[in-house]
Order: sequence, then structure tokens, then C-alpha cells
Amino acid sequence: MLFNSYEFIFFFLPITFFIYFYLNKKHWTQASKVFLVLSSLFFYAWWNVNYLPLILLSMFINYGIGRELSGFTTMFKRYAPKVLLSIGIIFNLALLGYFKYSDFFIINLNRVFHAEIVLWNLALPLAISFYTFQQIAYLVDSYRKETKEYDFLNYAVFVTFFPQLIAGPIVHHADMMPQFSNLKNKIKNYHNIALGLFIFSLGLFKKVIIADTFAVWATQGFDVAEKLNMLEAWVTSLSYTFQLYFDFSGYTDMAIGIALLFNIKIPMNFFSPYKATSIQDFWRRWHITLSRFLKDYIYIPLGGNRKGEVRTYTNLFTTFVLGGIWHGAGWTFVFWGILHGLALVAHRLWRKLGFKMHSLLAWFITFNFINIAWIFFRAVNFESALKVLKGMFFGDVIIPTLVSKYFEGMKEFGWTLGNWSKLYMSESYLLWWFIATFMVILFLPNSMQLKNKFKTNIFFMGLTILFFLSIFMLYRKSEFIYFNF
Amino acid sequence: MNLYILIFKERLDLKTTHYLKILFSMFTVIGIFSMGYVVYFSMHYPLPVSNYISLDAKIKFIRENIDVDKVDTLIVGSSLGLNNINGEVLDKTSIKASSVLNISVYGSAALEVEMLLELTDAFPNLKRIIYSAQYSDFPHEWYYENYDSEMLIKYMRDELNPIEHFLVMFRACNNLFFCFKRQSEWRNNHMMKNKFTYLGFDSTGSVPLHIYGEDIIGHRWRGAQPNIQNPKSFEAVDRMSKRAQKKGIKFYLIQGPYRGPLVEKHQFVRDALTHFAKRNAAIMKKNDGAFLSLHTLLHLDDKYFADRTHLNDLGSMVAAKAVGKFIDKTENIQGK
Repeated sequence: MLFNSYEFIFFFLPITFFIYFYLNKKHWTQASKVFLVLSSLFFYAWWNVNYLPLILLSMFINYGIGRELSGFTTMFKRYAPKVLLSIGIIFNLALLGYFKYSDFFIINLNRVFHAEIVLWNLALPLAISFYTFQQIAYLVDSYRKETKEYDFLNYAVFVTFFPQLIAGPIVHHADMMPQFSNLKNKIKNYHNIALGLFIFSLGLFKKVIIADTFAVWATQGFDVAEKLNMLEAWVTSLSYTFQLYFDFSGYTDMAIGIALLFNIKIPMNFFSPYKATSIQDFWRRWHITLSRFLKDYIYIPLGGNRKGEVRTYTNLFTTFVLGGIWHGAGWTFVFWGILHGLALVAHRLWRKLGFKMHSLLAWFITFNFINIAWIFFRAVNFESALKVLKGMFFGDVIIPTLVSKYFEGMKEFGWTLGNWSKLYMSESYLLWWFIATFMVILFLPNSMQLKNKFKTNIFFMGLTILFFLSIFMLYRKSEFIYFNF
Repeated sequence: MNLYILIFKERLDLKTTHYLKILFSMFTVIGIFSMGYVVYFSMHYPLPVSNYISLDAKIKFIRENIDVDKVDTLIVGSSLGLNNINGEVLDKTSIKASSVLNISVYGSAALEVEMLLELTDAFPNLKRIIYSAQYSDFPHEWYYENYDSEMLIKYMRDELNPIEHFLVMFRACNNLFFCFKRQSEWRNNHMMKNKFTYLGFDSTGSVPLHIYGEDIIGHRWRGAQPNIQNPKSFEAVDRMSKRAQKKGIKFYLIQGPYRGPLVEKHQFVRDALTHFAKRNAAIMKKNDGAFLSLHTLLHLDDKYFADRTHLNDLGSMVAAKAVGKFIDKTENIQGK
């Protein structure tokens, strides 16, 4: 079930909301939790019921091992905690590896050894990357004795809670589980409902109106066109850059908004990432919960910055390559991770050497680096990525009609004026979209800033209604990009 | 925005419960308005029940005008089915075809026509299917998206129960802006018979084009389509004709005429026409269907064409007469 679907907005969400609070009103708090878990599992199984046993199995095993590691049970006391932790992590990674990376592994084996091993063509279980990471974090913290004694029901709500189940944010047990136990959260909070509806509508607008518009243009350039001229290539890459941001942050806003209806605060995941003036700044603003996970559970355990300069750079680089692989089983994702790893290393070196740069230039470089790196993230293969890159830097120069009168003199240098693309509709329409979107990402407050400023007044009510009108454009209904990861 | 909130802070702040009451009232008003609009829209314009305006329009047309239990002859295809065979003339010419319905959809490739034929279950007395096509319909491996033939059949036959009917209307609401757009463009784009997007059906659902002189589009008139014929299209024809055979329905594949000067000029067009005819004739022979090349039979003059493959209303009448005679001959009946 998609957040941007009628089934969800008009049936699933209101029914779940009312029954959940009805049960709580009757002081059947345990029943309300059971109901929330079952609703979440229903939500999850809506796509494919076959995925259900897998998430249940993963949940049971991780909970069992976690409790053992915390010392709350002693069924496996003959095993050293380190061994148990290793078993738990291996189990999670094996699950992820089997479903997500087996074909990638076989393809590469075939390539290297000229073998002909048949691909397994396994369907990727929805949300596996997200719930696996969340549970690895739980195991590690249990090993560190940093978890409290949670009952299974709270744990099950933590893993399956439907707003964050499919595509994050990657929530941390320490943030979430106390909220599920807090009795104050069992009572309807009208302010949270008003705020939740506002944030949800904002996310819906971002997804349906902005991301899905850019999606069409990005697909044209990446998947339809065989060759791109310079302008087409830039339109293609920028379209994807905007699509990805508004798609993913729109999803996150919807998740945050829905969770607020249930009085649960999900951590923020984005903070105007395209305003970043360095790559490090970008990763503090983009997919914040993933960055936190990578830092706490990969970078720091690898040694972080405590083992000298070279190790720091190696750790940084390794962390981001792994981050790339987490996103998808393909060399383009690995390459995307490498690019970001290298950029972070370069940035660290730059800072260490004490160099400075004007913030406008820093923004320009950062934004363009991110935009170019996204090409590898989006392209189905290197060939497709290179097609776009080649177009961006070496494509034919065609000046659009809107400004062609200023470039008459450039004809002698081989520039063409006028009809610049068969891929895209009216150039002024396109131009306005890009200008407006740049204004939004650079100058308007982001969802979290709006959330903090929210008041129950007519202004925010007007905005909520305006954004909510996006439900009348759901005919372009499409899945969220991060469902694939 | 800070300033805005500051200025209006006092005046515009509401108690949270009041805020929510007003907000939900507004949502209700919007919901009622949109449902009302969709009901109005469905009475005057084709409701978006598929992803194709001509299919939407056709479903509305059938729902409101056709006695589906009487239909014995279906014309299917792309625009070459919609424009090239005049259903009314066929109805009059042929003894066998006594109740003709044209369910062709603009732009349909062969694999999509196969999907379109899932609608045949709506016509219990169907005796024959006429697939009007040309090689230019065969390059694409296209499929209809979000195509629910079961629902379309029910909607077409007006057999949806009230809840299903409400859901169709309800779902159309998620196309509300699309509906506004469709309404605003309807007259100009789809009610002008000198345009290739014309959707003014005759009594059988055909769309005879009145495209002459300056309404003719130059590149469509002068340029021949490349000879690309996807084997999957022929496989679709094979499956369609086999299924029809199993149900005791006669399947006709009619190859449309092609503008003579282009055929004379380009060897590849001649090759394409021959290849298309040979492959389809063989399939028809195998599956007890019948093949007719109007191109070979009629050798139509340019005055009958709206472009290289589309006939104008004059041409569609000539084609329909020829098809009618062919049906009667094939089914061993003398023409009227």
C-alpha cells in the first residue's frame, strides 16, 4: 500500500487510527499494540504476502538474540556474547545478502570465471535493507548492554510500525521504544493530529506534484533517449536530483506526519541537503538516519578518527563504499559510494590544510558534485550514466528559443538555435519548474523548520488544504524510489 | 513567512479543536464537491476508467448507446480500425454482419489489441471479429497500463453494483485535474472531424475522418513508415485468432490500403506490405480465419486517403463495402 494511494489515505489510515485510539481509550493498551503490529503487518503484506514470514522470522530471531545479549535471558549462556553477536549479525547480513546481492554476486562470478551459473532472480523483499539495519543496531546495543528490557510487543511495534517500515527513516530502538511504552502517547493529542496532517500533506505534495513531475523528465533522458544534447543532459540530471530529493523527503514527511497522528516522533531525515556547502555538510543533511547508522555502527567500530590520519581516511572511504552497496546491488552504486568516499576524504584533507573557499563557490561545487554523482545512482548501467555525462559536457549546444536572440553570433561556432529537444515539452514550462524548484530548495524553510513553526492558525490550515489537494493528481501514482533499497 | 506569522499570530490563531473541526469540514466540502463534479463529468465526458481517452470514450459510448447483447461483429485495431472501416456502411452492406460495433482504440499496437479483445466476453452473441491493421501497427511491444478488462466489461454493461460504481467514481477523483483538463480540451481536440484525434463516433463507434486539403498533415502524407514488424505482434495475432476459433468466432484480418505513390517510390514499403500479408494470411489459414488485403484489392486513389495509411470518410465507406462483401462471401452468403 502506498502512502499516496486512496486505499491508504481513506481506508487504512483512518481505520487504524480510530481503532488504535478506541482500544487505548478503553485502557486496552496491550490490545492496541497488538492491533498496531497486525495493522502494520497487513500494510506490509499488501504488496506481497510471501514476504511476511521473512520479516517475522527476522524479528523473532533478533529479539531472541538481543535479549540473550542484554542478559535478560540465559538460554544460550554457554556461548560467549561475542559469538552470539556474530551469529546475529551474520544471520542479518546473510538474509540481506541472499535476497539482495546473490544475483549480483553470480553475475560477477560469471564475468570473472566465464561461468554460466543461472541467476536466482529472487524478488527483493520489501524494506529488508531498513529492518535489517535497525535490528543490527539493536543487537550491537544489546551487546554493549545499552538496551533496556523491552517486551516482545514493544519490539514488534518498533520493527513493524508502518509509517517507517518500508523506507525508513532508520529509527533507533532507544528513540522509539520508550515512546511506545509511554502512556501519555496513548491519548489522542489534537495538536499532534493537526501537525501530523500538515506534515503528511506537505509530503504528499512533494511526492505527487514535484517528484512525479521531475520523474517523467528524468526517465525520458535516462531510459528513453539514445543520445542527449547538452541542455537535455542537464535537464535529465537535474530532474533526477530534484526527483530523488522530493520523492524521498516527501516519503519521510508523510511517515513523520502519520507517526505524529499516533503521538510517535520519528527522527528527521532531511534538512535542506541541497543547501550544503560541503560534502560533509551534505551528509549531515541528507538521509540523516542512515548517516547516523553508518557513523555509529560502521565508521566508529572501524576505528573512526582515533587511529591516525591514514586510518581515518580509510575508514571514511570504506564506510561510504559500504553505504553505496547498501543502496543497491550494482557497480554503479559501488561507484557512487566511491565518489562520495573520495569526496569526503578530499574535504577532510582540504580542511586539515586550512584552505578556505567562498560559500557560494563551495555550494556550487558541492551541488554539482552531488548532481553528477546521482547520475551513477540512477543509471541502470555505466553506459547509460556515461551517455548523460557525455551529453552534459560534450553534447551538442542548442540554445533554446527563449534566449536564442542573444546568441545569434554563436552560430559560427557550431551552436544551434531554437528547437532544442524532442524529449521535453514547452521550454518555458520546463524553465519555470526549474526556477521554482531551485527557489524552494534554496530559499524556503524545510519541512522540519515548518514543523517547528507550526501553529493552528488559518495560514497553516490553508497550506494543509492546498497541499492535500494533491490527492486529486494521484493518477500519476508511482512508487517511492527508496522502496527499491 | 516569519513576518506573516508574527503579524497574524494573534488574529489567526485558533483553538486546536476548532482548527481541526474547520479543517475536516473543509475536507468534507472538498470531497463532496469533487464527487459532484465527477458525477457531472461522467454524464458529459468520458470518465477516466483506463489510461486511454479513446477507450474511455468508447466505453462511455457503448454503455450509453449499444445493446451489447445484439452485437455480432466487432471491428478492432488502432486508428486503422477506428477510421478506416465505416461501421454503418458495413452494417448495411453485409447480410451476415447485422449489428456492428467498432471498439478500436487510437494508437493500439497488436499486443494491445489482444488485450482489447478481452472485452469480447461482454458480447454474448459475437460471431466475427475484424482486425483492421497495417504493418505500421506491428513494430511496438506495447501493453495497456492499468487495464482491468473485468471492470471495464461490467462498467460497459452497466453491471457494477452500487459499491463498485461508487469506487469507479471515487477513483476518478484522483484524476480530478486530469478531468478538468479533459473537459477543457474535449471540444477542440476530440470533436473536430478534421483532426486525427477526433472521437465523434457514428452509431457503430467508428470514426470517419473528414480530412481533406489543408487539414492533411504533410509529413504523415509524404513519409512512409519503416519496415519494422515485431514477431511478437504476429504471435499476438496467432493467439487472438486461435482464441476466436475456440469460441466459434470467425476472425478476419484486414490489411489496410497504403498510399500508392509511396508504395511505388519505396521498395521497403513493398517488402513490408508483402511480408505483413504473407505472415498474416498464413496465420489466418492455420487458425480458420480469413485474410483480406484491401491494399491489393482496391488500389485506392489518393482522394480516399487522409494520410499514408488513414482513409478519409469516403475511403472508409469504400473499404467497409469491400469488407462487407468479403465477409458474406467467406461465410457463403450472397451480398445485398
